[in-house]
Amino acid sequence: MANLNVDSVKQRTFDAIVIGSGMSGGWAAKEFTGKGLKTLVLERGRDVKHIKDYPTTNMMPYEFEHRGELTAEMREKNPVVSRCYAFREDAMHFFVKDTEQPYVQEKPFDWIRGQQVGGKSLLWARQTQRWSDLDFEGPARDGYAVDWPIRYKDLAPWYSYVEKFAGISGNNDGLAELPDGEFLPAYPLNSVEDYFKKQLKSHYGNRHVISARCAHLSKPNQIHLDQGRAQCMNRVICQRGCPFGGYFSSNSSTIPWAERTGLMTLLPHSVVQEVIYDDKAGKATGVRVINAQTKETTEYYAPVIFVNASAFSTNQILLNSTSDRFPNGLGNDSGLLGKYVAFHNYRARITAEYEGFQEYATDGRNPAGGGYIPRFRNLHKQETDFLRGYAAGFRADRGQESDTSGFGVDLKKQLLNPSWGIWKVGSHMMGETIPKAESQLSLSKTRKDDWGIPLLNINLDYDANDNKMVADYHAQMEEMFTKAGFTNIKKTDSHQAPGLDIHEMGGVRMGHDPKTSLLNRYNQLHACPNVYVTDGACMTSTSTQNPSLTYMALTARAVDHAVSEMKKQNI
Amino acid sequence: MNRRTVVKGLLLFTGGLVLAPSCVMETSKASIRLRNLDISGEDEKLMGELVETILPTTDTPGGKTLGLHRFTLKMVDDLRGEKDQKAFMAGLDGFKKLAKKQVGSSFVEASPQKRQELVSAVNAGKAPEDVVAFYRMVKDHTITGYLNSELVMTKLRVYELVPGRYNAYFPVKTKQQS
Repeated sequence: MANLNVDSVKQRTFDAIVIGSGMSGGWAAKEFTGKGLKTLVLERGRDVKHIKDYPTTNMMPYEFEHRGELTAEMREKNPVVSRCYAFREDAMHFFVKDTEQPYVQEKPFDWIRGQQVGGKSLLWARQTQRWSDLDFEGPARDGYAVDWPIRYKDLAPWYSYVEKFAGISGNNDGLAELPDGEFLPAYPLNSVEDYFKKQLKSHYGNRHVISARCAHLSKPNQIHLDQGRAQCMNRVICQRGCPFGGYFSSNSSTIPWAERTGLMTLLPHSVVQEVIYDDKAGKATGVRVINAQTKETTEYYAPVIFVNASAFSTNQILLNSTSDRFPNGLGNDSGLLGKYVAFHNYRARITAEYEGFQEYATDGRNPAGGGYIPRFRNLHKQETDFLRGYAAGFRADRGQESDTSGFGVDLKKQLLNPSWGIWKVGSHMMGETIPKAESQLSLSKTRKDDWGIPLLNINLDYDANDNKMVADYHAQMEEMFTKAGFTNIKKTDSHQAPGLDIHEMGGVRMGHDPKTSLLNRYNQLHACPNVYVTDGACMTSTSTQNPSLTYMALTARAVDHAVSEMKKQNI
Repeated sequence: MNRRTVVKGLLLFTGGLVLAPSCVMETSKASIRLRNLDISGEDEKLMGELVETILPTTDTPGGKTLGLHRFTLKMVDDLRGEKDQKAFMAGLDGFKKLAKKQVGSSFVEASPQKRQELVSAVNAGKAPEDVVAFYRMVKDHTITGYLNSELVMTKLRVYELVPGRYNAYFPVKTKQQS
C-alpha cells in the first residue's frame, strides 16, 4: 500500500503546474515545456481540439437554424452572456451560460467567460498593442494605484518574443505612445479611414489613425507554418475557431506546440479548488482539483505553480486558498487581494456618414477591423479635468443597400440588385478606469457553487472620472468628425455594466512593496514566491491597450524567471 | 448566369430549412412543430401566399417555393418574445378578417391580383395597426430568410465563406448596374 501511495503521488507530481489554458495559460504551458519541464495544465472546461472541435467553423449562414440569431429562450435564460456581441448562434457553445456558473453581482457586472481549453483566446477580438512607458509610468505620475514595478524596457524583448510566435500584423508607426513591434504586413486602411487619418494629422498633428494591429497571419513566417497554421483567409468569423489557424489562439498555437514536446499533461474538467500551501515547508506544494464531472478531489504537486485562470477566477482561487499562514487567501499579507480591480470603459460610441469617396468601396474583409486611434489625452502631462484617457477604434464601411419599402417583383429586384450606399463611419471608446480600494472581489459567505467553492462577489462600478471621460470622448470625436466633414453624427452611451468590455483586470496587482501589492516585478507572490500570477489579475493599472499581448509577454518573461530561479534553487 | 438552371434546381433550395411535412396532411395543423404559436394548416397556406406576394416567383423561385412562410413562422416562434407573438397572432387574425372584408373571400382563394391589392394597401400602412404590425414582422423575416437562403447565397448574391483577400481601395461605379 505504501508503495502504491508513493507511486500515486509520483504520478501526480510535475515540474510545473499551470492553472488555465487560455491566453496566458497556453503561453505558460508552451514556455515550460519548451524549457524541458514536465508540465500539468489544468482546465476547468472541456477540451477543444484545434479544427476538430470547431463544429460551426465551415457552416454557411443558411445552415444555422436561426440564421445566427439567439432564441428568445436563450436570451431570457442568459441575460448576461446574451449581451456579449459574440454570443450568437455560431459561437454560443464557447461561452459560459449564466446558469452554469453563478456569481454575485453586488453591483451590476457582466462577467463574460469562456471555459474550455483555449478559454477566451478562441473568442477574443484579436487586437494587440504594446504598452509604452507613458502607460507604465501612469500610476506614479498621476498618483493612483501603486507604481508599476516594471517599465517598457523590461517587457520590450518579451513583447518581441511573443509577437514573433503569435504573428501580429501591423505597421511600424513610430509613435512613442504605442511602441512598434515585430510585425507581419498590416491590413491597409481603406479610402475613408486613410482620409480621416490625414484629416487628424493636419488638424491636430498629435492625433493618429493607424492600421489596427492584430493577431492575424497576414503573411505567415516559417514559425507559423511550423505550428500548422496558414495565412488568414479574411473570413472574419473568428469566434467559431479558425480551421486555417489564421488568428492566434491557444488552441491553434501554444497548446499544440506544448503538446508536441511530449511534456504536457492537459487535464480538462479540472476545477481548481485551491493552491495548497505547506506551512512547514513555507511554500506552495500543489493544487487541489475537483473533477467537474465526477466531483472527485485529487491533489497534484509541483515546485512552481502558475495561476492563469482568467483575471477574476484567479482572484477567486487565491482567496479560497487559505492556510494557517495565509488565513485570508494565498499571499494576502497586505489584505489587498481582490482589491483595486478595474476594467475598460467601453460605453461610448459615435457614428456618422461621409458623402465622399464614391468611387471606392472595399472587397473581401478586413480581419483587423479598420483603424486604431492611440490615446492622445493627458499623454505627456495632465491637461483635462479627468485622469488618464482613452484609445478608440475607427472604421469606415460601405455596404450594398436595397430599398425594401416596396413588395412583390420590385422588392425582389431591389434585393437582388443592391446599390452602393454612402460610407458609414464609426468609433468606439476604450477608456482607462482607475483601480480603487472599494472596487473589489470577495468570496460569498453564504453561497457556494456545484463544486462547493464559495461564489465570487463582484463589486465595482463607474465613477465620476469615467463619466467625464465619456463626455470628453464624445466631444473630441464629434469635433474630429465635424472637421473631417462627416455628417449625421450620432453619439451614444450604452451605460453598459462593467464587464462587457471583457477586460476586467487586477486584484492581485504587481508592485514594489509587499505592503501595497501582491506580486513582485516577476509576477511572483511576494509572500509565496513559487506561485506566479500572469493573467489579467496581475495588472496594477489598465491603461487603454487591449490587454492580451501584455499578458502573453508577462507570462513568457515570468516562466523564464521561474525556470532560472528553480535552477538556482531559489524556489 | 443561367437563371433557367436555377429554376430547374429549385428543389435543392428550400430556404435551408429541413422541414419534412407530415405524410398525411391534416388541414387543421401546420406542417411544422411550433411551441408558442397556434397555427393551423389554413394559416400556413395563407402565410405561403403572403410571402409569395411579398417575394413572388419570377425567373427565380419566390417566397413560397423557398419555404419562407414556414421560416417566418419558426422565427416568430423561436426568436420573438411573448408580446410579439401575441401581436403576430392578433395581426394574423386581423389580416384574415381584412381579406374577407376587402376581397370577399379568404386570402388564399383570392386571385393573385386581389392579393396584391390587399398587400399593397397593408404595405403602405393603410390597414388596422395590428395588421400592419403583423405584416412588418412577416416581411422582415421573409427578407432575412430570402437573403440568407441557400439559393440567394450560392447563386444570386454569392456569400463568400472564404474570401481570402481584402482590397481596401476597391473601385466601383456608383450608378446601379443592371
